[in-house]
Amino acid sequence: MSGASNQSPPIVVEQVGKRFRLRRSGTRSLKSAFLDILRSPRGARRETFWALQDINFTVNRGETLGIVGANGAGKSTLLSLLAGTKVPTTGRIQTTGTVSSLLELGAGFHPDLSGRENVFLAGAIMGLSRRQMRARFDAIVEFAGLHDFIDQPVKHYSSGMYVRLGFAVAVEVDPDILLIDEVLAVGDENFQKKCLRKMEDFRRAGKTMLIISHDLGTIQSISDRILFLQDGRVAGLGAPDEVVGRYRAAARARQTGGHEREWGTGEASIQTVITEDADGRPADTFQAGDTLRCRIRYQAHQRIENPVFGFAVADASARVVFGSNTQIGGVNIPAIEGEGEITLVLQDIPFGSGNYLLSFSLHSADHRTNYHRLDHYFSISVVNPDSFEGVCRIPTRWEVPT
Amino acid sequence: MGHRWMDIFSRRELVWILIERNLKIRYKSSFLGFFWSLLAPLSLIVVYSVFLGLIRFPMSLPVLVTSIIIWQFLAMCMGDALQSILGNANLVTKAAFPRVILPLSMVGANAINFLFSFAVLSVYLLIARVEFGALIYLPGIMLTQAALCLGMSLIIGTANVFFRDTEHVLSVVMLAWFFLTPVIYGPELVLDNFPRWVQVLFFANPMTGILVAYREVLLSAHVGEGGLVALSFSVAWGIFFLGWGIFHAAEPRFGDEL
Repeated sequence: MSGASNQSPPIVVEQVGKRFRLRRSGTRSLKSAFLDILRSPRGARRETFWALQDINFTVNRGETLGIVGANGAGKSTLLSLLAGTKVPTTGRIQTTGTVSSLLELGAGFHPDLSGRENVFLAGAIMGLSRRQMRARFDAIVEFAGLHDFIDQPVKHYSSGMYVRLGFAVAVEVDPDILLIDEVLAVGDENFQKKCLRKMEDFRRAGKTMLIISHDLGTIQSISDRILFLQDGRVAGLGAPDEVVGRYRAAARARQTGGHEREWGTGEASIQTVITEDADGRPADTFQAGDTLRCRIRYQAHQRIENPVFGFAVADASARVVFGSNTQIGGVNIPAIEGEGEITLVLQDIPFGSGNYLLSFSLHSADHRTNYHRLDHYFSISVVNPDSFEGVCRIPTRWEVPT
Repeated sequence: MGHRWMDIFSRRELVWILIERNLKIRYKSSFLGFFWSLLAPLSLIVVYSVFLGLIRFPMSLPVLVTSIIIWQFLAMCMGDALQSILGNANLVTKAAFPRVILPLSMVGANAINFLFSFAVLSVYLLIARVEFGALIYLPGIMLTQAALCLGMSLIIGTANVFFRDTEHVLSVVMLAWFFLTPVIYGPELVLDNFPRWVQVLFFANPMTGILVAYREVLLSAHVGEGGLVALSFSVAWGIFFLGWGIFHAAEPRFGDEL
């Protein structure tokens, strides 16, 4: 860890867990609460789930920590806990200094109040006095670029103006800790650059920042360390390049079930495979009985005589369910050169409900040379209303002697 | 409880800005703006004077309008209390601050509104040449009513976060409460016609004693039931502490529910 300061770190998270109660349908009414109590006298029995578990980390003064993870991994919950708007179920969170959060920019604005009134309200919510806000007011308006509109009710603002004012307030209140959730995705390019510059100023001023973003490139370049959350747990914490790499690999593994592999000699390669329904619309979910079309785009860097395209379908545990190739199918491809496309059509999908992994290969007619192989690279899911044992459904009937 | 008041005191700027916001929003898109807080009680006095001129009603105009304006302070708070947390979900989910500031500033805004109405009422009472009582007790009575309003608002605001049908329950409760309180009738109706235990129940409604006390100091309407008025005042403060306790017990879960 960097920055050997003798002061306590601005953010200390120890053994933090957050449990949510699950609601079956929307909000509760008194009636349903009453019925719940009648059904189980020891209070309503509710399903719960842990959004975060065993979270431990420390952020040092002046450090920028990026947070990555799939949707639902607990990123926003973690930021809410740090902002103090949610309370951890277990463990302890300690923040030192003022915290300003950019969770939903300008969300605290009241539509009927003017920009000016909202700026003072937002400042007061973050704990600044009117006098302190008056000193910052011009800088806020300047940064947001809203000179002509500051006395208009914010309901007349465009969403861009809204966000600009929100960002301006959040950064100009000069917090010690700044929490940023997906704000780099909003505003025009010009404003985004302004935001990035402001964040750079923040860094240089020794402020602490936590950033959530799906924009891996940006987060990798501005973070000192990255925290990777997976299913509510820390799956990685460390150098940006390393953790983002791990996150990327995990994201792909999640799609393909973790068995993905790619190899080949490279004279020709499969660029991509697009899965489509019978009407040629891109799809990755199919009903049993549907037609699956796989458009295989390839590129041959040199002329290849008599190539063979192969494929295999495997179930979620990577057992091959079915496989074949153009040679077996009696399709003769004299030669390929440059870019091209070949389509595989699977008719009448007989599989049971679940995820299936698709593998593709491009090899020589004698199977000696593997130009390119993509094992379990693409996944589709199948929905089958029938229930049965095994992987695929065989048409069956029973004949009972009468 | 002490440290909570310290927290609120340190965020007093926020309390003021929120009170200001609540008042501004109320009159924001109206043509006459803040004058409405003066016009509303005035029009109320005019309407009831016409009403009392047209039909026989066993109450004098000063007593009736005084009672209604005092009741309105509570009624307005109860109506606003439903949304005091839920309506500020964007603030609650965005920033950390003592949540009690939200209902507090709502009651504060209504209290200021009430004081304006009260000023208009006082001018009217002077013109109507009523005989004032011991006005020195007025601040204490007002404070007790404000504590009752805040206590109830804390309960209602909390309930509405967890149970969204609080609104419907509240409208029934408020209607019953209105008629159980001597707003459009005098306390003598109960004191003269019912046994002691009913009288005690009557004054267990905190608004009964509060109204009786207001009438005593503003209109010299002497009732002479000091013990029962003290009961009402105790219940009012009891509700305040109850609401305070419920609110702070539920506060950590607001962020999850909104």
